[in-house]
Amino acid sequence: MIVLGIETSCDETSAALVADGRDILSNIIATQLDLLRKYGGVVPEVAARRHTELIGYVIREALDTAGKTLDDVEAVAVTARQGLIGCLLVGAAAAKSISYARGLPLIGLHHIEGHIFANRLSNPEMPFPHVCLTVSGGHTMLLYADGSGRYELLGTTLDDAAGEAFDKIAKFLDLDFPGGPVIDRLSKDGNRKAFRFPRPMLRSKSLDFSFSGLKTSIINTFKEQVSRGDKLPLADIAASFQEAAVDVLVTRTVRAAHEKGVTVLSVTGGVSANSRLREAFQASARREGMDVYFPALSLCTDNAAMIAAAGYERLRRGEVSDLNLDVVPNAPLEV
Amino acid sequence: MIVLGIDTSGYANAVGVVTDGRILADVAFEARTDSLEKIVVNIDDVLRSAGRTLGDIDGIGVGLGPGSWTGIRVGVTVGKILAFSAGKKVAGISTLEALAYGARDESASVCAVIGTGAGNAVYAACYRVRDGELTLDGDYYVGPAAGLAETVTDTTVLVGSGAAAYAKEIEREMNNARVHIVAMEAAPGGAAIALLAERRLERGDSDDALSLTPLYLKESTAKALVQQRAEKKKTWGKG
Repeated sequence: MIVLGIETSCDETSAALVADGRDILSNIIATQLDLLRKYGGVVPEVAARRHTELIGYVIREALDTAGKTLDDVEAVAVTARQGLIGCLLVGAAAAKSISYARGLPLIGLHHIEGHIFANRLSNPEMPFPHVCLTVSGGHTMLLYADGSGRYELLGTTLDDAAGEAFDKIAKFLDLDFPGGPVIDRLSKDGNRKAFRFPRPMLRSKSLDFSFSGLKTSIINTFKEQVSRGDKLPLADIAASFQEAAVDVLVTRTVRAAHEKGVTVLSVTGGVSANSRLREAFQASARREGMDVYFPALSLCTDNAAMIAAAGYERLRRGEVSDLNLDVVPNAPLEV
Repeated sequence: MIVLGIDTSGYANAVGVVTDGRILADVAFEARTDSLEKIVVNIDDVLRSAGRTLGDIDGIGVGLGPGSWTGIRVGVTVGKILAFSAGKKVAGISTLEALAYGARDESASVCAVIGTGAGNAVYAACYRVRDGELTLDGDYYVGPAAGLAETVTDTTVLVGSGAAAYAKEIEREMNNARVHIVAMEAAPGGAAIALLAERRLERGDSDDALSLTPLYLKESTAKALVQQRAEKKKTWGKG
């Protein structure tokens, strides 16, 4: 069964065709990196306008690349919950129109459920139940997933998302945008023990995250040097910051797995592409006798293939939306 | 020819069906801030009430705005993706023209106004009417309603939501007692969009569905700010 997935929750316009929830026939992603660089972040109105311009082309490209037509598509899955409302609206309007015009089942999904299935697309053998950490520019979320389509939220960020902290530190150090890949690259030449930055809440029992204290500590440590125009040890700062963030993410996730009595970890979202994060998770998992899974690099950031894969699972359980589907910018995943 | 018309630029999902210049159905469903939830169901209801299905129609007319930015994105996306997936022709129609079209029998000179939602600023366009055909007179206008006083030089019908209040502001600004403004309260209708689209489609004049974009008439605040900053830099560079 071929599912058309559509994802426009933030700043990527994406459409994909996925067969049987497993085989990616196409996964077209139009990024708005040019706009991000220009504005230093996502501007909702600007992003929504770009989605409206691109959505039709991206859908056609997904069909053409897969060598299929709408006649071959058997269902439409779309991100309808969690994201920027003006952006979500564009994808949902497109999905509803296709569903109506072609008489196809419609599945409205939570964005984070897509990330969970990005990892299943890359690692079909990854078992349930598991603990899933979704880390990106917009989310830092620890979930317990048992494969039933119901999720238990174990922890979330109390302030900045992990990826947001990378972006803000990159901005402070006057590095390129987005900050994640730049800091990752720069850190390879740095000493991750050069500075001992705080690990916020590491000892607390909670499974929640906080990154603003780490960010503030770095800014306070170096702001005088920045204002004097001194040359900063950029690679060492980047590596030490990254180490602190990674330390918190890995420790919390492993602890969550202990609490839930599972030995499988799934790490998804844009930040899961970070090489040091992967290395640290693998080392920790080995020590703890756990298995850790990451999506292919191409499936870490927002994409519609993961939405099509998650939609396929819902459809198999008979969970479809009707044509009154609406979008919800802040929605719990549990519902 | 059977044409479906939709417009979601205001506080309603306006949907109409016309055939050969005749209105088969024309309904405005209230949709305060969110056009998305009901738009497809609204379209289906109106098609049914006209005794038609999506498969029966020859083309789709879409109100491009101006109006609510979120609203026009929903309408334009639905219009273009319906056209793409049902294999129908599409024609984008200015919502201001659709408003003016409803007043074409009232005067040789019609101005359509739509509030921008920011103070008393309006989107507006003035049209000349000859033999029932509208021609845009000058450019689209964005600014305080009173600013239209320069454009209005003879007796004019001012059509739109809140037209009476805007007419007063324009008259206050005008120094010409012989020029009258007749206010006509109206909201954009789906059938008006469909009728204008049908005329274009009959001439073989349609839009490429995938490239159809809303008529915002205003940059987003962020874009305007970035442009201002760039302008400033340029000026400094010259100095």
